[in-house]
Amino acid sequence: MKEDDAGREVAVFTEAIKVPRRQRAAFLDQACGGDDELRRKVESLLKAHDRVGNFLEEPPTGGLANGSN
Amino acid sequence: MSKKQVERHVEELRSARCGEDNLNDATVMLAAIHAGDSNAAEGLLVLVYDELRRLAAAKLAHEAPGQTLQPTALVHEAWLRLVGDRASSFNGREHFFRASAEAMRRILIDRARRKHTERHGGSFHRVAFEGFDLAAPLVDDQLLAVNEALEKFALEHPIQAELVKLRYFAGLTNEEVSEVMGISVSSAKNYWTFSRAWLLNEIEGA
Repeated sequence: MKEDDAGREVAVFTEAIKVPRRQRAAFLDQACGGDDELRRKVESLLKAHDRVGNFLEEPPTGGLANGSN
Repeated sequence: MSKKQVERHVEELRSARCGEDNLNDATVMLAAIHAGDSNAAEGLLVLVYDELRRLAAAKLAHEAPGQTLQPTALVHEAWLRLVGDRASSFNGREHFFRASAEAMRRILIDRARRKHTERHGGSFHRVAFEGFDLAAPLVDDQLLAVNEALEKFALEHPIQAELVKLRYFAGLTNEEVSEVMGISVSSAKNYWTFSRAWLLNEIEGA
């Protein structure tokens, strides 16, 4: 994946989550500008973002739990 | 550089210091890395890896059963023990924490894989299923899934993948990550949000 594409994906996602839901479609029309691949990826990420909860917010200590060697 | 070459390099550094302890090795390596010596980065990883494993084992030996360790505490203690007051400048901190994140990742993944093998492998050795162990298999499997997703993530988004390593495996805060990576705190927060969505999407979509 080219650096520019990767950067755009991060930037569009970051802006999209700040946009009110009912305006997201219009925002993505403008931000993705006909790049369907980009839009598909960002929409997928937005769905995941809704489900993320506290995923990865807890430290991965399971591997260091005492007694479970 | 092979592991044996790295270990020999570390030994050469040690004897060059005329028997002085690890406290000086780390600062020597950090200075060398800062000067552009990529071999020293490998040596630092070995040093940090050994120290973190030692600290983890020592703490686990003294904690009550069922206790878990915070990687962030281990990483900060390793910093104090290996570098501490001898760090005359903070230029070395970035390399140290990057090495610590990678070392913690390897330590945790190795343990998760070993336990996964114990549970699913052919050995008849019975793994004790005391209360806290019931939670552990899920955590181990998630850890392995996260690591696999992270490797894919690094191919497309290497900067964000590095941030995930620092936050998740070394337990650095957004502020510490921003300092180590030389990005703004708001970028660190945005990248973290993006990364979590990406990784969750990858794991659930698999």
